[in-house]
Amino acid sequence: MKLQRDIFIKEIIKKMEKDKNIFFLSADFGAAALDELRERFPENFIHCGISEQAMLDVASGLALEKNKVFVYAMAPFLSLRAIEQAKCGAGLMNLPICMISVGIGLGYADAGPTHYANEDFSCFRSVVGSSIYTPADNESTKLIAKEMLEKPKFSYVRLDREHLKDLEPKINQKDYKNGYQILGKIKKQKTAIISHGKILHNCIEAFKNDKNKYILINLFKAKPFPKNLAKDVKKINNFLVVDEQSPSGSLSSCVFEGFSESGFFPKIISSSLPEEYIFDNGGREYLLNKYGLSKKDLLKRAKKFK
Amino acid sequence: MKINNLEEIAKKYRREMFEKFLLTKTGHPGSIFSMMEIAVSLYHGEFVRLKENKKEFKDKVLISKGHATSTLYPILRDFGIISKKEWDSWGVKKSKLRIFGNTSIPGINITSGSLGHCIGAGAGMAISYKKNNQDNKVYVVISEGELYEGSTWEALLLAKHRNLNNLTIIIDVNSLIILGNTSDCLNLDPIKKKMEGLDIKTLEVDGHNINQLVDALKNTDESNEISCIIAKTVKGKGSSIMENKKNWHYWSPMTDEEINKTRLELK
Repeated sequence: MKLQRDIFIKEIIKKMEKDKNIFFLSADFGAAALDELRERFPENFIHCGISEQAMLDVASGLALEKNKVFVYAMAPFLSLRAIEQAKCGAGLMNLPICMISVGIGLGYADAGPTHYANEDFSCFRSVVGSSIYTPADNESTKLIAKEMLEKPKFSYVRLDREHLKDLEPKINQKDYKNGYQILGKIKKQKTAIISHGKILHNCIEAFKNDKNKYILINLFKAKPFPKNLAKDVKKINNFLVVDEQSPSGSLSSCVFEGFSESGFFPKIISSSLPEEYIFDNGGREYLLNKYGLSKKDLLKRAKKFK
Repeated sequence: MKINNLEEIAKKYRREMFEKFLLTKTGHPGSIFSMMEIAVSLYHGEFVRLKENKKEFKDKVLISKGHATSTLYPILRDFGIISKKEWDSWGVKKSKLRIFGNTSIPGINITSGSLGHCIGAGAGMAISYKKNNQDNKVYVVISEGELYEGSTWEALLLAKHRNLNNLTIIIDVNSLIILGNTSDCLNLDPIKKKMEGLDIKTLEVDGHNINQLVDALKNTDESNEISCIIAKTVKGKGSSIMENKKNWHYWSPMTDEEINKTRLELK
């Protein structure tokens, strides 16, 4: 069972064998693959201390000198703590810095709300010039890593802390180019469930027995919003957007704005975490079930269209 | 390099910048006048070296106190990096030049304005040069006010740990922030001890004394460890109306009499 972070870092290692201008910066956050990277390429690795802000500034300096730069830390700290550094460096100067953010949503259950990244999506969506990726499996994680190595840009890549199952069918090149994958056949009377990351798997689980009523859309690239999506799903009127984020600015806002830009105005309902900080224990699945993202809750929300 | 010449050059730039303040009716004269000799020593003292093509500098200067980046514009003009036409247009018609510098302006190496970013960015550049065995240097000019920013100290720890002897940090200590004296608002002293506490080699100079600045820069250039220069300065240096006045952080309207007086003092 490989974790997304190991898949991503393995791709960087492969590239480092040929490209000496890649730097990997960590704010004291590890991975099995990172141990290999540090051992094999010590000159290309910078331990920045538990200092996400300085890490982003150092990344800016490296990127200004034409290096390919990857910064790596736990999602809640890389995002909200260092967001102004991301704005002033990668944002304002359009620098090709890739931010690898691990442990999105309630990934760090039961660490508690300091460690939850339930606001990072909306925060980074608002930083001008950012691209946002939330892969739901290892295949798309690998493709994202390859893209960031071939065509570096200011990107915020949201990885899960846990191992995520492979999707069936696997994402193909066309899907990757589009920025989304449609699971199921599009029919007018169906409801579309849009999600990304780990919570997409919960949606698959919830809706898999009713393929005549639902299709699922794996929106792994939310920003820039995929141009073709509205055109591909224009037959459908009802969309349930599911995200492991607090409600303000979660994936549903992004979908609404993306569709509106294309002149597409279907009914959109959002399922997300509540507008509160979660202090309960019990593990991630328990919390998702308790806070409105259980299979039962998702089915109930989807039925609201009728 | 003649020290007398550098002193005259600094005076000339103060005069030129003052005329730009009058034209644009905006800017940060207090902060610009406090770091003028620092900037002149770096460039005209030949510490910042031109590339062979003479079209850009080999060494980097990052003005972390971005509100004073425009201190560099007349210098960059005289080295032919910023065109005279661009300089003349500033405050008169459309121009790339503006109060806070950004990387679209020739010779400006970083977009700054938000405080506390440039030691980290400078460290990144310095690491890149070292890894590639390039002998480029990086000078980062910060205001003492940036010592309030946590990211400054985070970056200093990293720069020291990696022994970036190609990075020199110059702290412009004019003792004033927007609301008053640093000692009254939130004391920063003793800055030298704090830097030395990080085991960073630290020199203290009169930031308006070219001799002392040049000596300190020679010393840091030859050093095999990361260095810091604390430059004690006077906010608004050169104008009795502005000197040591917190409200001259920003441009303030002047009467004709005050303008004439300042012009005379800056001669």
